[in-house]
Amino acid sequence: MKKNDKIEELIFNNREQLNELEPDEGHFERFETKLENLHKKRHFSFNIIWKVAAAAVFILLLTNQAYLYFSPNSEISFFSSKKTNSVTLASVSPKYKEVEFYFTNAINVELEQWNTLKSKGLLSKEEQNMMNNELNEFENRYKEIQKDLAANPNDKRVINAMLEYYRAKLSVLNMIVKKLEEVKQKKNNYETNI
Amino acid sequence: MPSSFIQSFKILNTLYKNIHQEIIDRCREGNRQSQSQLYKLYYKAMYSVSFRILNDRMEAEDVMQEAFLSAFRNIENYKGEVSFGAWLKRIVVNRSLDQLKKRRIKFEEVTEKTAQISESEMETTAVNIQTVKEAIQDLPDGYRVVLSLFLIEGYDHKEISSILGITNSSSRTQLLRAKNKLRNSLAGKELFLNN
Repeated sequence: MKKNDKIEELIFNNREQLNELEPDEGHFERFETKLENLHKKRHFSFNIIWKVAAAAVFILLLTNQAYLYFSPNSEISFFSSKKTNSVTLASVSPKYKEVEFYFTNAINVELEQWNTLKSKGLLSKEEQNMMNNELNEFENRYKEIQKDLAANPNDKRVINAMLEYYRAKLSVLNMIVKKLEEVKQKKNNYETNI
Repeated sequence: MPSSFIQSFKILNTLYKNIHQEIIDRCREGNRQSQSQLYKLYYKAMYSVSFRILNDRMEAEDVMQEAFLSAFRNIENYKGEVSFGAWLKRIVVNRSLDQLKKRRIKFEEVTEKTAQISESEMETTAVNIQTVKEAIQDLPDGYRVVLSLFLIEGYDHKEISSILGITNSSSRTQLLRAKNKLRNSLAGKELFLNN
């Protein structure tokens, strides 16, 4: 601002007075009317939003309840957590009972052989650990498939998975036991030859 | 200016506390009584701003009131970085300018160099403020708007050029011309304040 600029000075010093202009009479009432309209509009729109939201929530709840009551799967999945432990192929369909019986038997035979090797003290710590790891892994897999089976008892894929599981477990156990026996046999032969 | 100063200045600004903070807070909740209260507190200043731009009582009132309503609708956008009055004034100025543009006012693009316009000196020391008000009203639209925004509303040339869509130098030129015109019309109308 220039020092001798009287216009700027004059305006600057009288800024407050310059901002004291009064609108025409009745301006406040005119504003109140406009404000009233603003609130009516807003109130209306809020009402609609709330109604829509409430309806949406209600419908959601209703369908959810209906699904829980009428869905045939829901009941099974609801109780499945309790059943999980006892679900087997035999409980799903009797025609798999025999197959399952065969596999569990065969597996038990292998395990018994393993145990006799163990009781004879022929197995090293390393070998025992390896076997335990394998068995734990199989156990976990078994629990998984049991869950699937409980949820989808008629699913061919799950049944096949269970059969595959038995087959794999049997062949792995069989292989391990066979190899170990071979090795021990060789060792024995070697020792007796000397 | 050191940046630390600007930083602390910004922080101070963000913590702006309004004199009427409680009323503003209640307006935020959509309280109708508080909105009327706020109108009563600010309408004169806002009407003055709008009138200086539009120079029409009815239009100025309408624009000012619409600006209030728009402020209430968008009050969540007011973050408190500036005073509420400054925020509201920005809305009033923008809406007044929009209204003025509807009249197809063209803000003169001046090609002359600013330096070529010399300022005439005014000899009198005291002029009645009412006379100044009237003289401002008599200015052509373009001059009046630039002069009001710069001298009264406190906008700088950069802000003025961006809201009016003109160059920085033509904002300066228009201000000088407006001041000269104002001086001429005030010449011979001098009144001593004690009269």
